[in-house]
Amino acid sequence: MKRNPLYLLMILVLVLMVALSACAPAATPTPTAPASTSATAETTTPPTASPQPAQEKITVIFPRHEADIVGAFEARVREFEKTTGIKVELIQSDWDSVADRVIPEMATGGSAYDVVEFDNGWVAEWCGAGWVTPLNDFMPEGFTQGMIPGLVDLFSCPDGKLYGVVWNNDTRFFYYNAAKLETAGYTQPPRTWQEFKEMSLAAKDKGVVQYGMAPSWNQEWALANEFHFWTYTFGGKIVDEQGCFEFNKDPNTLAALQFMIDALKEGVANPAGLTYDQATAQDAFLKGDTLFLPQGIAGLMAYTQDPNISKVAGQVKVGLVPGATPDLSATLTLPEAYAIPANSKHKEAAWKFIQFMTSRETNKILAQEIGLLPIWTDLYTDPDLLAKYPFWADFQAQLSTARGLSKLTWYGDFVDVTIAEVHKALAGEQTAQQALDNMAKGLAQFECQP
Amino acid sequence: MPRKLRSRPLTDNPQLLGLLLTLPALMAILAVVLIPIVSSFWLSLHQKDLSRPQYDAFIALKNYLTLLRDSRYLNSLWVTFRFSLTSVIMEVILGVSIALVLNQRFVGRGFVRGLMILPWAMPSIVNAAMWKWIYNADYGALNALLTQLHIIEGYRVWLADPTWATILIILANVWKETPFTVILVLAALQAIPEDLYEAARVDGASAWRSFWHITLPLISPVLMVASMLQFIWGFQTFELVYVTTGGGPFSTTELTTLRVYATTFRSLRFGYGAAMAYLTSLVILIPAVFYIRSAYRRVVEM
Repeated sequence: MKRNPLYLLMILVLVLMVALSACAPAATPTPTAPASTSATAETTTPPTASPQPAQEKITVIFPRHEADIVGAFEARVREFEKTTGIKVELIQSDWDSVADRVIPEMATGGSAYDVVEFDNGWVAEWCGAGWVTPLNDFMPEGFTQGMIPGLVDLFSCPDGKLYGVVWNNDTRFFYYNAAKLETAGYTQPPRTWQEFKEMSLAAKDKGVVQYGMAPSWNQEWALANEFHFWTYTFGGKIVDEQGCFEFNKDPNTLAALQFMIDALKEGVANPAGLTYDQATAQDAFLKGDTLFLPQGIAGLMAYTQDPNISKVAGQVKVGLVPGATPDLSATLTLPEAYAIPANSKHKEAAWKFIQFMTSRETNKILAQEIGLLPIWTDLYTDPDLLAKYPFWADFQAQLSTARGLSKLTWYGDFVDVTIAEVHKALAGEQTAQQALDNMAKGLAQFECQP
Repeated sequence: MPRKLRSRPLTDNPQLLGLLLTLPALMAILAVVLIPIVSSFWLSLHQKDLSRPQYDAFIALKNYLTLLRDSRYLNSLWVTFRFSLTSVIMEVILGVSIALVLNQRFVGRGFVRGLMILPWAMPSIVNAAMWKWIYNADYGALNALLTQLHIIEGYRVWLADPTWATILIILANVWKETPFTVILVLAALQAIPEDLYEAARVDGASAWRSFWHITLPLISPVLMVASMLQFIWGFQTFELVYVTTGGGPFSTTELTTLRVYATTFRSLRFGYGAAMAYLTSLVILIPAVFYIRSAYRRVVEM
């Protein structure tokens, strides 16, 4: 029988499509749980050990933690199931995909989820809209005692109630390649951005690195985080407590944006950073192409030890984020919390999940397994954790300078306008002042609305 | 004695029968098309900011009037128009050229014809991810190719340059969509009687004159349909730009679909987002009307 080549090709196309589809990231990955560790044994008496009715089931959605390549969170969730008898349908994917699923669900008053991701950038919006359940109705007396106070405050609404408990203390730290810095002729990290610039150019001239830094300045949501970070480190202001604009009048904010522009112009920052996301910027640092990573995640040190992705094992150190002046250091904290939607039908079970997953015991296990930064202050002096992460001692000073994103009910619009105008300035298409003025113009309808 | 009433069979009343038979389909259309259209239009007449419900109100046409002064939206409309029109022109030229080649007899013709479908059959998101890798500033195939051919000296950040970013997303779109035009034109070419070309040859017409006076007029209805559809699809493009540039650099590749998405699902301004979608739909409606009229005329002629 004669075979039609077109027919064969169609089969080939189908096979290719299936193969290519398989390359796409799965919405709900189920990483293999790691083998039980000594730390796991410490959860034999979790805070919520009372068994629940057999068939109770909750649906939980939150992003995959960047450092969780072993499925540590999944393992804790399964431990929760064993301990309480509550079944958990776990949905994990990248942050953007989670945001795209959670926000419309909350906005339409859905009850599909019982525990949801609650990003710090959403606090003002969600408080105003009444989408989440106050946790004070569930939590025992003194529950937040011992937590980092800033994290508790960040997820408290104007009514004084707590609406989220942090699962990811995503505070950013300043990393530098000490070995390369020494080759460039410096033994200490920079204390100011001026020193940062000088060291970068010196290292570049000597052929030590390609650039001082590879910024993640692509026109995307996270560029607004970058704008906050640089503004804070220059002592700048964005909005006041009433939501009135300060960014277009404050000289320090202008200086921050000007520094970002100049860093690209003068060759301190890789111009490809205009298309980089955070993961790409981090990769460049881990490959040894750059000297500094101004705001890296807490678990970065674990990555530096992995020869598959890092060429800088043993070379990286943590320093204070430089500032406009030697006495100024600040950093950005982007914590993510668990919250219970107002329309959840399993609020009690959802609360038990939150209590279990944010407990000291779970926090310590996740810290040991994937380097998760704790939310409990005493864990920073825990001998087991300090033995494993001696550089956490360097984190201490920075943690007290951490600040969150602006709390605005129109934060989505703020991001939308900011990333376009800042990106235009970074590309050299307008001045820093023009960018800030255009932001004010584009956001005029929201001014002085918190 | 009253005359006995006899019910007429439905087959005697074809209009009523037709109405009854199409009723389920009409109800389905009403439920999934008409109601959402009317409901979203009603939404577009309101200020409906989900994260700031205290400001919700009926504002009539204010959203539309604001849109006409919204430079970001107007820019996205222009970007989309430019993207769609350039894509269509390139797709038609390439589509006709490739179809003419594929209409010739040569060894492996069936294989090549099958291969043509591959880009069109590829899922949009996979296509977008593939082009993002190709255009990558550090390890992209485009930089590697051009460097090895000594066309450029060093790797370039293509997607940070507004002109190149625009050109490259159009090329990526053309690569994916051209096979559709090829398939349609190829089908039209095969329907042209060989006698016409033989008569032209007898009269001494060149290949170019045969193409200009025989081929082109006979495939023009198909080209019209393909162009209209491609233009409309250009306005619906989302994944390609969302993945490769995110609308950057500084909104120079921001299509209206991205603007509607950001306004509605990121800023949660559903009323304004609905108005934006409606206004964009009106723009697409113009070629859509041409397409429907053209398609209707062809059906009548048949």
